[in-house]
Amino acid sequence: MRMADILSRVYVAALFVFVFLPILTSVVFSFNSDRFPTVPLGHFTTHWYETAFSRPEVWLAFKNSLIVAFCAASLSTMLGFVTAYTDFRYGFRFKTAYLALALLPPTIPLVIMGLAMLAWLGRLGLSGTLIGIIIAHTVMGAPFAMAICRMRLQQMDPALEAAAWNLGASPWRTMASVVIPFSTPALISAFCLTAAVSFDEFIVAWFVSGLNKTVPVMILEILQGNVDPQINAIGTVVFLTSITLVILAQLLILRRSAT
Amino acid sequence: MKTRFSVYPYVWRVPLLIWQGLFFIGPLALMVAMSFWLVKNYRMEPDFVFKNWDKMMSRGYFWDAYWITLWRASLAALLATLIAFPASYTLAFKVSDTVRRWAVFFLIVPFFTSYLVRAYAWQVLLAESGPINAILGYLGLGPFTMLNTGIGAMVGYMTLVLPLVVILQTFSLAAIDRNLIEAAWNLGASARATLFKVIIPSARVGLIIGAVFAFILSYGDFVSPFYLGGSKPPTMSILIIDTTKSGQQWPRAAVVAIMMIVTLFTVAFVAVGAAYGRRK
Amino acid sequence: MKKQTSVLTRRGFITGVAGAALSTPMLSRAWAAEPTVINMLAWYGHAEPDIVGEFEAANNVKFVPKYYAGGDNMLALIAQSPPGTYDLILSDAEFVQQLNAAGYIEQMDASLYPFDDFFPEYQNFPGHWVDDDLWSVMVRYGLLGVSYNTEALTREEAMSYNCFWNEKVKGKVGHFDWHLPNLGQMSLLMGNDKPSPFDISEDAWGAVQEKTMSLKPQVGGYFDYGGTFSSLKNGEMLAMCGIGDWITGVLEKDGAPVASVIPEEGGVQWTESYSIGKGTTKHEIINKFIQYMLSPEGQVKSIQMAAYPGLSPTKSGWKAIQEANPTEAARSGMVVGSDQDPIKMYQEGRVHIRDIPRQQSLEDWNDFWSEYKTA
Repeated sequence: MRMADILSRVYVAALFVFVFLPILTSVVFSFNSDRFPTVPLGHFTTHWYETAFSRPEVWLAFKNSLIVAFCAASLSTMLGFVTAYTDFRYGFRFKTAYLALALLPPTIPLVIMGLAMLAWLGRLGLSGTLIGIIIAHTVMGAPFAMAICRMRLQQMDPALEAAAWNLGASPWRTMASVVIPFSTPALISAFCLTAAVSFDEFIVAWFVSGLNKTVPVMILEILQGNVDPQINAIGTVVFLTSITLVILAQLLILRRSAT
Repeated sequence: MKTRFSVYPYVWRVPLLIWQGLFFIGPLALMVAMSFWLVKNYRMEPDFVFKNWDKMMSRGYFWDAYWITLWRASLAALLATLIAFPASYTLAFKVSDTVRRWAVFFLIVPFFTSYLVRAYAWQVLLAESGPINAILGYLGLGPFTMLNTGIGAMVGYMTLVLPLVVILQTFSLAAIDRNLIEAAWNLGASARATLFKVIIPSARVGLIIGAVFAFILSYGDFVSPFYLGGSKPPTMSILIIDTTKSGQQWPRAAVVAIMMIVTLFTVAFVAVGAAYGRRK
Repeated sequence: MKKQTSVLTRRGFITGVAGAALSTPMLSRAWAAEPTVINMLAWYGHAEPDIVGEFEAANNVKFVPKYYAGGDNMLALIAQSPPGTYDLILSDAEFVQQLNAAGYIEQMDASLYPFDDFFPEYQNFPGHWVDDDLWSVMVRYGLLGVSYNTEALTREEAMSYNCFWNEKVKGKVGHFDWHLPNLGQMSLLMGNDKPSPFDISEDAWGAVQEKTMSLKPQVGGYFDYGGTFSSLKNGEMLAMCGIGDWITGVLEKDGAPVASVIPEEGGVQWTESYSIGKGTTKHEIINKFIQYMLSPEGQVKSIQMAAYPGLSPTKSGWKAIQEANPTEAARSGMVVGSDQDPIKMYQEGRVHIRDIPRQQSLEDWNDFWSEYKTA
């Protein structure tokens, strides 16, 4: 039995190695001097970081990514929250269809979202703009935000709201002073997660972006282009950015749900 | 009082309808419409003809891509489920809550590292001159051709879906009532019987949902089959990209896309039906 | 290897300066002295610092590139953007006619460009002139033949397209994922060199398809630009169809054992040309840039472009590279007497300009390519 326990832990460890191997590889190669990554490694260098981050267009891409991530995350979170609240509070006809509409976007392959979005946004005159990417990422992020907010609302005693109403508070007042404060941690973590989703998304952004590139689109172009190790350097920085957002979200969920 | 009350719910209900209508249903509906359009001189012209459907449905390469994608995504879902299960089982039953929480946290991390960068890293790792073959070489094995094969693509799919599948399985296994398992033991069930008669049926929903997600993600992915599978053969997603690239044939790409969505939904509904079905 | 480093350092230096100059105002409020932006639609590399850096610094302009991956992709991108989005379009020569037909480009003033300096073969490039009106100016070109790993195949073996069927490269033959160059080469192998491998009868087209299909068991993958690079570099692919020195040239400089030759059956020429995007308001600076790229200085940059090397259509370009970098001139055949001298091979009828199919529709070729890929 003990042997089986050890084996099962080794198995879990092996699975984690598989999952993290590519991430570590990319970090390692971002500091490797060779133009084309092969073993044995060359020597240690920060050259690729310097090259990448001395390029104004890389900074511009980061700026674009941050703008897009911020706006898309704000919109997704708002949309997610109102939808989650609707689901939590109300029952109505066609609610199943309503929820399906809310939750379907992640099931549509990204390539198809990109194709459809570009055609549609092109008609609206929004293709090639950051607004276009923000719209697309909001559609993709909102279901995640909704799921997070919904989980939090689940923990709220439904009688709480009713009690506030009975005490004469208007629904608006109750929303502002009871429901939203209770949901704040979920709102923040939904914001962080949807920002991270947006910060990493490249297929839809590639279709829609035109001249306004985000960081992942730039990575895709390098991969389609001359496969420069800058890709690892930029990738590592993106990884650190996203992981910061995720840790932030995680800490907030853990801390608040502990209290 | 009553009038004020009737406004309030709609403030929460309507935004989603407007937004999804404008930016989710709208684009998809346009895509469906587009599949009946024509392309003249690299420009699309609204029309209502079945030419694109005739054309794609009658092509051998479309159906080749269709079946290979379906097959690969199913294989990926099966493999991911089987590979993930022992790990999820360990995480659910054999470790402390803290370890489990951290494990889940670390499994979330990969979602937020650029999938492209990870695929590129696999290109390096799987290459014939890469580290994995170098290690195998020391052991007197190989070299194996892994890149630009189905194996390469499968490694990519696993990278994409395994973390999610493990998380979903772990949650559903951890949620099983321990008393149930102990009851099985007390009634003298063997380890195997407990697993197949108690644990797996109880976690059925999570297992199936995990597999469905693995299927959905692999089915739509174009990075792995392209960068790790060498487009050999092309999957539906690659076919979409190829089709848009060649001669502005968006209507035909739309046909491929619609076929993909129909297939995905069919599989998802059947699977979800199987997950919740018998409970009714 | 040494060259590569120096190029990178210089590139790093220039971009460093440009980066510092640009990022400082970004932090403060002054967007006022912002440089003129030129939106360029091009293959990867054409708006990178090694090409445009000095021009940007000297003229206070900033190139914003949108890189495409193939002519169809390029047309699609223009079609989806409002007129005037792209000021300058670098396209493959065979797509100029389509750009023109679709009304995406403006007529150009021939007197502005040094056509006297062009080799006579390139003065009247097909499709660039409509009667006496100029619509596009060729800036560089290159040849597509057999690209191979020199440790797997000998140069003699590579002198025929038949080497793709060689047992030694089984499962290791890669395709650049675009039908025109690949099928053009197959057409040449089938002996369709007069008038052009792209101008073939239905019967010949059938034979080309059959021959191509027979290559399937040898094929290891279909790659975009980036994939072609890395798979040749890491030895995943030992021979590559549909490409030439524009890929292997970069890898050679990096020390990879790869090379390209134009085989006996002949090669296909790719050509890149500048066109002015319809609706632009920046004619003056765009013309200045095109003139700069056609000058000896610009041609030396173009020949040694970091993303992929090219050949020069101008006599002064040849002279300039022979002085600036004799090794590169010799390597690429831009010296009189080389057996890979592009002008000589062109005159001998061994080089054929890549074209769109003349007797079949582009769609037929494209369809066949899709079939071949899934077969």
